Amino acid sequence: MRTLVLGLGNELAADDAVGVLVARAARERIADAADVVASSASGMALIELLAGYDRAIVVDSIQTGRNPPGTITELELEQIGRVVAPSLHQAGLPEMAAVAERLGLGFPSETRVLAVEVLDPYTLGGAMSTPVAAAVDELARRICNRVERWASEQTRT
Amino acid sequence: MSTKIVIDPITRLEGHGKIHIFLDDAGSVDRAFLQIPELRGFEKFVEGRRAEDMPQITSRICGVCPTAHHMAATKALDDLYGVDPPAAAKKIRELIYSTFMVEDHALHFFFLGGPDFVVGPAAPKADRNILGVLGQVGLEVGKEVIGVRKQLRELMGQVAGKPIHPVFGLPGGVSRTLTAEIQDEFRAAAARAVEFGTFALGVFRDVVLSNPEYVELVTSEAYTHRTHYMGLVDAANNVTFYDGKLRVVDPGGHEFLAFDPRDYLQHIAEHVEPWTYMKFCFLKDVGWNGFAEGPDSGIYAVAPLARLNASDGMATPLAQEAHDELISTLGGKPVHHTLANHWARIVELVYAAERMSELAADPEILSPDVRTLPTAPPEEGIGVVEAPRGTLIHHYRTDERGLITSANLIVATQNNAARIAMSVDKAARWLITAGEVDDGLLNQLEMAFRAYDPCYGCATHSLPGQMPLLVQIHDADGEVVRELRRD
Repeated sequence: MRTLVLGLGNELAADDAVGVLVARAARERIADAADVVASSASGMALIELLAGYDRAIVVDSIQTGRNPPGTITELELEQIGRVVAPSLHQAGLPEMAAVAERLGLGFPSETRVLAVEVLDPYTLGGAMSTPVAAAVDELARRICNRVERWASEQTRT
Repeated sequence: MSTKIVIDPITRLEGHGKIHIFLDDAGSVDRAFLQIPELRGFEKFVEGRRAEDMPQITSRICGVCPTAHHMAATKALDDLYGVDPPAAAKKIRELIYSTFMVEDHALHFFFLGGPDFVVGPAAPKADRNILGVLGQVGLEVGKEVIGVRKQLRELMGQVAGKPIHPVFGLPGGVSRTLTAEIQDEFRAAAARAVEFGTFALGVFRDVVLSNPEYVELVTSEAYTHRTHYMGLVDAANNVTFYDGKLRVVDPGGHEFLAFDPRDYLQHIAEHVEPWTYMKFCFLKDVGWNGFAEGPDSGIYAVAPLARLNASDGMATPLAQEAHDELISTLGGKPVHHTLANHWARIVELVYAAERMSELAADPEILSPDVRTLPTAPPEEGIGVVEAPRGTLIHHYRTDERGLITSANLIVATQNNAARIAMSVDKAARWLITAGEVDDGLLNQLEMAFRAYDPCYGCATHSLPGQMPLLVQIHDADGEVVRELRRD
């Protein structure tokens, strides 16, 4: 079983750094059980990152305006709708998963998504907002728990 | 008082564009435009940083075309330190850059533009996505797109560091020499890329050109603007991506300007409108005359079709052939049909692949002489490349220690902003009469700007939502009277 923890975000852009920071925080604690990657990639590049793994956890920022900044929403891949966005650069994970499956590229059979509500993902060099920064530890903890649970399930089977 | 329609992601996920449509009292379109979220604070962020860090910093601004930013920044450093890289270094840079252009254009044609063209504008919404493209062209082709791209990106990675964060451009050269083994790999990859480009042209002929409805759509007035065009050209006025002079042709196709990119400020200015934070580039030599077409409007376009229009042709044989076919089919230069960008993109793909092949076969790229050490004191540097989506300009000023005092970037989408606004506006006018909004509005508006592949320069990685597009129609008092959702 190969497991990937993927933190998506732009380290330079205020709250958008959250995925990258979480990956960094989780890396040492789960280095034996999972590969940990931080990336600002999007669209098709996600296929290249995820292909070949059996399970994945993806951390990304989200801006719904419905929840307070720092809110963590845990989703199954299937819960995120497939989209045709204004620019298909933005073709997202679910569509990539469908494409990878169709092409037989070996996409993870289980992908958990941890989405963090952000306040400002647009200011270069901006500081992370306090609630988003405060969510980093909790996100790292959840990732470690999940990876450990997967690892122990695997030991049992 | 005007009415307003907004097309907006209902859950405002990062990186999505918005379309605003204002109607007048009669329900006709008063004005429509695309608004793109942009990163703020770049100038302030880089102030006081070391100029030599700019190729790394700017390539991290955006996950979509880091190689283009890296290369423009590297060239700006050459200029800043007044240093001319050795011939081998320039060739290695151009080899990497051509490789990047092949993989980016391949991706766009099949997977980003494909839903509009390969699947087709009239296809049901549910099919107009990458899976629909795969259904049309077959899984083997899909695998080849992924395979070619993977091979090219791995090769770039071997030479330049991770494609997403290249680390090889230095002022005066590059950070490493090439081995004969890597050269062989590049030659093999280039051969595959040329074959792939030729195949892509075939797909375009079979799927698009053989379908009169598509051709009619491409040439329809709704997607046509008679503007100026700009692109980098080499000494023979052929398209070049890496280095050359900036050439502008007027709407009649005549050379209007040809200038050293260092002089861009003499020719390009930015217009500001009160209703958007976007800045609209225009030609100073003509002036800003509103969102208008024709020789008296300073609005110009960049990107693949503009590059073909601004050039005399392509420097490689297969690309030249493809160029000639496009131009003659569409009635001669300049081609004003925005949707022809998709075709122009494959012509350029073929050129990038052939150029890659030429450079990979050049014995000079194995030269150990890949760096000229800068000695001049830094002051000001300007670097320009053709990014996949059009002309990209980096401009830095520094103090005598090489610390940035000011920086200015003009990215492709900014160059295109005015024409994109016009395209959205024209499509909206075409589709909305007396307040009646055609249900095909979303598709057709998207097609109007997707041909440019406008780059949502920031945060493009983020999670997609369930309903990323929303059309809000406001009455004359600004109240929402109708919503159209993309689902």
